[in-house]
Amino acid sequence: MNNNMESMLDTYLYEVNSLLDSLDEMLVADEKVGDFSTDDVNEIFRIMHTIKGSSAMMEFGSLATIAHHIEDLFFYIRDKGIDSLDTEHKKELFNLMFRSEDTLRGEVAKVESGSPLSENIDSFAEEINVFLKKISNASSEEASADAPESQPESAAPSGVSMEDSLPEDDKAACFLHIFLEEGIGMENLRAFMIVNSLRECGVELRYYPSDLETNSDTCQEVIENGFFLAFDTKDMADQGVAVLQSQNHIRSYEQIDAPEKTEDKKPEASASSQPATEAAPKSAAAPQAKPAAPQASHAPVKQSLLSVNLQKLNNLIDIVGEIVITESMVTSSPELQLLPRDSFDNFMKSGRQLRKLTDDLQDIAMSLRMVPISGVFQKMNRIVRDMKQKLNKDVRLTIIGEETEVDKTIVDSIQDPLMHIIRNSMDHGIEESVEERIQAGKNPQGEIILSASHTSSEVIISVSDDGTGIDPDKLLAKARDKGLLTKPESEYSRKEALMLIMLPGFSTNQTVTEFSGRGVGMDVVKKNVESVGGTISLSSEPGKGTTTTLKIPLTLSIVDGMKVTVGSSIFTIPISNIRQSFKVKAEDIILDECGNEMVQCMDSFYPIVRLHNFYNLETEVTSMEDGILLWVEASDRSYCLFVDDLLGEQQVVVKPLPVFLNRYSLKTYGIIGCTILGDGNISIILDILGLHTAAIDNK
Amino acid sequence: MSEELTYTNESEVQSSVERCLTFESGGLVMFLSTNYVIEIINDHSITPLPLVPPYIKGIINLRGQMLPIVDIRARMGKPQAEYTSKTCIVVLEVDSVPFGIIVDSVRQVMDIDLQDVHPIPVKRQEELLNGMVTLEDNSVLMSFDCKSLFM
Repeated sequence: MNNNMESMLDTYLYEVNSLLDSLDEMLVADEKVGDFSTDDVNEIFRIMHTIKGSSAMMEFGSLATIAHHIEDLFFYIRDKGIDSLDTEHKKELFNLMFRSEDTLRGEVAKVESGSPLSENIDSFAEEINVFLKKISNASSEEASADAPESQPESAAPSGVSMEDSLPEDDKAACFLHIFLEEGIGMENLRAFMIVNSLRECGVELRYYPSDLETNSDTCQEVIENGFFLAFDTKDMADQGVAVLQSQNHIRSYEQIDAPEKTEDKKPEASASSQPATEAAPKSAAAPQAKPAAPQASHAPVKQSLLSVNLQKLNNLIDIVGEIVITESMVTSSPELQLLPRDSFDNFMKSGRQLRKLTDDLQDIAMSLRMVPISGVFQKMNRIVRDMKQKLNKDVRLTIIGEETEVDKTIVDSIQDPLMHIIRNSMDHGIEESVEERIQAGKNPQGEIILSASHTSSEVIISVSDDGTGIDPDKLLAKARDKGLLTKPESEYSRKEALMLIMLPGFSTNQTVTEFSGRGVGMDVVKKNVESVGGTISLSSEPGKGTTTTLKIPLTLSIVDGMKVTVGSSIFTIPISNIRQSFKVKAEDIILDECGNEMVQCMDSFYPIVRLHNFYNLETEVTSMEDGILLWVEASDRSYCLFVDDLLGEQQVVVKPLPVFLNRYSLKTYGIIGCTILGDGNISIILDILGLHTAAIDNK
Repeated sequence: MSEELTYTNESEVQSSVERCLTFESGGLVMFLSTNYVIEIINDHSITPLPLVPPYIKGIINLRGQMLPIVDIRARMGKPQAEYTSKTCIVVLEVDSVPFGIIVDSVRQVMDIDLQDVHPIPVKRQEELLNGMVTLEDNSVLMSFDCKSLFM
């Protein structure tokens, strides 16, 4: 079972358990009143629907079947209204529901412990159906006389020979057939108590009839035929026998080995009078096979999701960051050189071990913040479904890579942008009518593909539709009308023209619809994406569809940075923003009429920001020849930074600036945080986009 | 009975007398309640920050925590003095915001009865101080208002 599967299972268990908890709460409250409220009927229906869905997805058949039957039942009740049931039926319904809950919980417990689910839940499902039939008959004023019908024929076949009456239990290696003393009363409950006390002693077993506790009709059966306990192993059965001897009210018991299904030729009689000699090899074989098999397919999975205060988690990550830094401070300490050679080698050996451990520790600490993106993606399903009905378009949403993990803060912040993009695709992307699509030679059903994947440092989320696509000329014309163009129309490249859609106040839809077209769409999306350090890009082919791609850093708390010096200060620039670094000669610099410096990279000109000028830092490096230029890019802004020197790459833990400094709004000057370097010094982390805004846009 | 008496006495004492740290900066002797003081450190390298007022000296790395440092002397508009071995950073936490102040030297911790603290009878632009008190030896201490740094 791989990691992904396990985490899905965790989520599933968490979900089903909390649903069952709320079901329980509701049932208890409602039973006190003796009636279901309409809301609760809907809620139970919804709970069962969810359990059915997710159980089916996880391939837990028994859970799905039970939930399905209850869902049917409540569908009927919801349809007819709860008032169509009389008091008697309501009471029965309550009982049935509580038992269903218990059955479901039992199955969930089996999933948790990794044991196989029970396969013969048909009798229970049948019971629900019978009840459903009963109330539907009662409501249609037909026969309601057959009240005891609730006990289906599935009750143990009585009057057959001993061996044949063995309950169906494929796994059991051994049965105990127990008869209680006569005339003790409430035989079924006494039997159940015996089962309980066995379980308390750590004996794992199943019992038949399996509805001992709840079905008083089993009482008669227990009196007549006794009851069965089924054990997975012979050892368990022996333990059980030991416990049984201390129990009261047992008239007699008999140990029966389960008939071997594969060895049908074997005379059945031997099963009941199994001599000890023959039992030994069998029991030896059984336990060996048993533990091995479940472990392969059903490794025990305890529900192991835990919600933790985010603050605590952040503290942990901070401390881990500290440990990593301190570790490198210790191992690179100059005093070590004074050690004699032998001790130095030994020290370094332990040092390397420590480094490995701290690296692992850091990886784990970081992974704690990572959550699968599936939660957000699932919500998109819902949006597509709702819009499909509203807009009357037939669209399916295909989700790829929902198990991709990203930082929690990022998951939270991409939900709105994604929602907007999907709505845009639904509203503007996909053709208005099926006819249009057929004419264009496309599948009548539109498709939106939502996919996520990650590279070493970023998550790539893309939304593509197979709709009409975007016509760059239309965008250009529109932008011209709105006066949003900044250069002659003919100079816009295809890509640039598409990016016009991201400008504030741009909306190509003529009419405002419920979902999109208010003209606040894409620029807000862009802002949101940029606020988590991501970028957004569009590609579209008229008639074929549009793809919107978001690139978002995996985590906000660790950056691969390039350290640069300006005077005595050390700044860190995220590597992902750096395109190139190069030296220039003074004559390569081009000045405009205000003396702003520019430089040519590839075929374009880019402005130069002298970091020492902008931040008023003292440095001896002021001429272009002495320093170095960094060509940086963030989102669609590109420019060059002039710094003294490059120090090298380092992965750094981003720390926010102290709260005390908030009022100096350093963020608007391109400083997003700081980090502690290996030697304990602090380096300031630059925000390339913010720096552009401060140094060039708002000059 | 006697125990109760001492108890009530103590609570009275607590209400008006506070343990205070006294320190010097720019020729003034000041005090502040030890309730705000986390620790006193010296000899820390301060990383300067661009684009902040000159009295914000920068930030230091105090065991992984980023701590902004305010120079009291510069905040009072006094000329910059050379940092010596006596110069200290007093780490404070006010309203759960931690920061450090640079002072010329730290003197001692003493009990000061807050009822003896009088307002300063002069009108000033910068209200860094919010009172003054005369000690038994006739020396005068100024009450340093930590919260003024947030203004």
